[in-house]
Amino acid sequence: MAKILVIADIKQGVLKSSTAELLSKAKTIGAETAVVAVGSNIESLTSDLANAGSDTQYIADDPSLELFSAGPYASCVVDAAKQFGANLIWFGFSESGKAVAPRVATQLDAACATEITDVELSGDQIEVIRPAIANKVMQRVKVNTDQLVAVVRAGAFEATEGITGTENVVKLSAPAPDLKAVIKELISDAIGEIDLVDADVVISVGRGVKDQAGVDLVKELANDLKAGFGSSRAMVDGGFMAHNKQVGQTGKIVAPSLYMAIGISGAIQHLAGMTGSKVILAVNKDTEAPIFNVADYGIVGDLFEVVPILREEIKKIKS
Amino acid sequence: MKILTTVKKVVDVELTMHVEDGAIVEDGLQYVINAWDESAVEASVQLKENNGAETTLVSIGGGDNTDMIRRCYAMGIENGIHIDDPALAKADASIFAKVLQKVYEKGDYDLVITGKQAQDTDSGQTGIILAEYLGVPCVSNVIAIEVMDDQHIKVSRVGDAGTEIVELELPAVVTVDVSINEPRLPQMRGIMMAKKKAIDVMDLAALGTSDDEVEGATPKSEIVEFMVSKTRKAGQKFEGDAAEITAKVVDLLANEAKVL
Repeated sequence: MAKILVIADIKQGVLKSSTAELLSKAKTIGAETAVVAVGSNIESLTSDLANAGSDTQYIADDPSLELFSAGPYASCVVDAAKQFGANLIWFGFSESGKAVAPRVATQLDAACATEITDVELSGDQIEVIRPAIANKVMQRVKVNTDQLVAVVRAGAFEATEGITGTENVVKLSAPAPDLKAVIKELISDAIGEIDLVDADVVISVGRGVKDQAGVDLVKELANDLKAGFGSSRAMVDGGFMAHNKQVGQTGKIVAPSLYMAIGISGAIQHLAGMTGSKVILAVNKDTEAPIFNVADYGIVGDLFEVVPILREEIKKIKS
Repeated sequence: MKILTTVKKVVDVELTMHVEDGAIVEDGLQYVINAWDESAVEASVQLKENNGAETTLVSIGGGDNTDMIRRCYAMGIENGIHIDDPALAKADASIFAKVLQKVYEKGDYDLVITGKQAQDTDSGQTGIILAEYLGVPCVSNVIAIEVMDDQHIKVSRVGDAGTEIVELELPAVVTVDVSINEPRLPQMRGIMMAKKKAIDVMDLAALGTSDDEVEGATPKSEIVEFMVSKTRKAGQKFEGDAAEITAKVVDLLANEAKVL
């Protein structure tokens, strides 16, 4: 039986939905499951971790692990993988996962695949499916080792109702800090800010919103809907949006129920980050904008006129 | 400071890809410098200009990479190495990292700068694995590099909870995001000079890799098939009176798509 270790995705002390999604998938394919959680003051998450679908919880809880550092984080995952005897080690889509997975794979002499959307097991043979070339093609990748470390694409797996696990905590000792790569500061997102990758609705702004006033206008709509607030690259380069708000091939890959592209023309690099969304709404004044080729609903119009009406109409329907 | 920058030639993602019999149809494809690597080149040249450094690039595979390497020369890179060998046809990220390790060990470098991913594989592993092999510190997804002294740099990284500021002891590997800079366009003078510069082309034998590590190594994973991606279709597009069409779309979102 496959043994799957899932890396818990924790942000600001809260367990993100990817953890339950990955554990659900693991249980659905009949695997034995464990989770590894790395951080500081995270012991209270034990029952959440079990409820998400894990039958063993490896917990590395130490003040030295409060800020992300790839070296010590990888050490914790390797420790858990060895103790558990994992043959599949799954990270949810996150920047820390992308930084740590290749390290873990190298230390275990295992194969590594990022952005996977599916996994197929037959006997000892592991194969994965993943997109490449900015989503234009899919690859089937054969794994030639017994172990695979993978980063799973956001939205690839779904949490299954009724799947749960049991509490069985194994404490991991804190690894030595990385003295050659010392994290000095975290310029953090606001507390309680809605995470792009987790959000059920994501609203992104592009060049069409022009300036800070345009950004603020759309931000109000995002606030109304408790939506994640993202951006095309142009608005990040322009200094209007933070780097970690960029949706696209080079930024976050999102797959919410509803994605609203406001003033985004739809460059291939942006599309690579959002075409996995269930429903896409585009607002753009250029009727020829490529974003309309992937949008389920398109409004051709001036966003400065449309967005306030959108807010009012949504308020009406919600009340 | 000696800087090694890695550069990969990749398929132009703006083009339409056709898949036949599990393989990408090569006909009509065009190749360009990987955008993330172009940013790595620009970052290296800026460090050279601002702090003084010797800059070398290495490119693996890709057949004739002369044009791409000359373009990097024209941007300000001083030395170029191209490793090409039929034995690398099925290489995965860890085998590429082994080759880079050999290049690194021959050059006594202080800093390796790579793009954080290649736009053909979107994999993002090679630089990080290289750092593991070398036993040196590594920060990925970097958007700023600042030299502190001969032995230290300070970098900004886009992380999950915000921007992380990390001090690295050299030698080190950093992988950069495209947003670190706007790569310069080569100027005519640079282009003319670049034409005269040599490229150090070598195969694996000349590089001196060992058989079991590279030539004879089984890749840990291999692509067995390419498939066409599911594409979305254009849906309903509304033009006309903003109030009217917006109300209509909100109604559809709520009652047809059921996402509000």
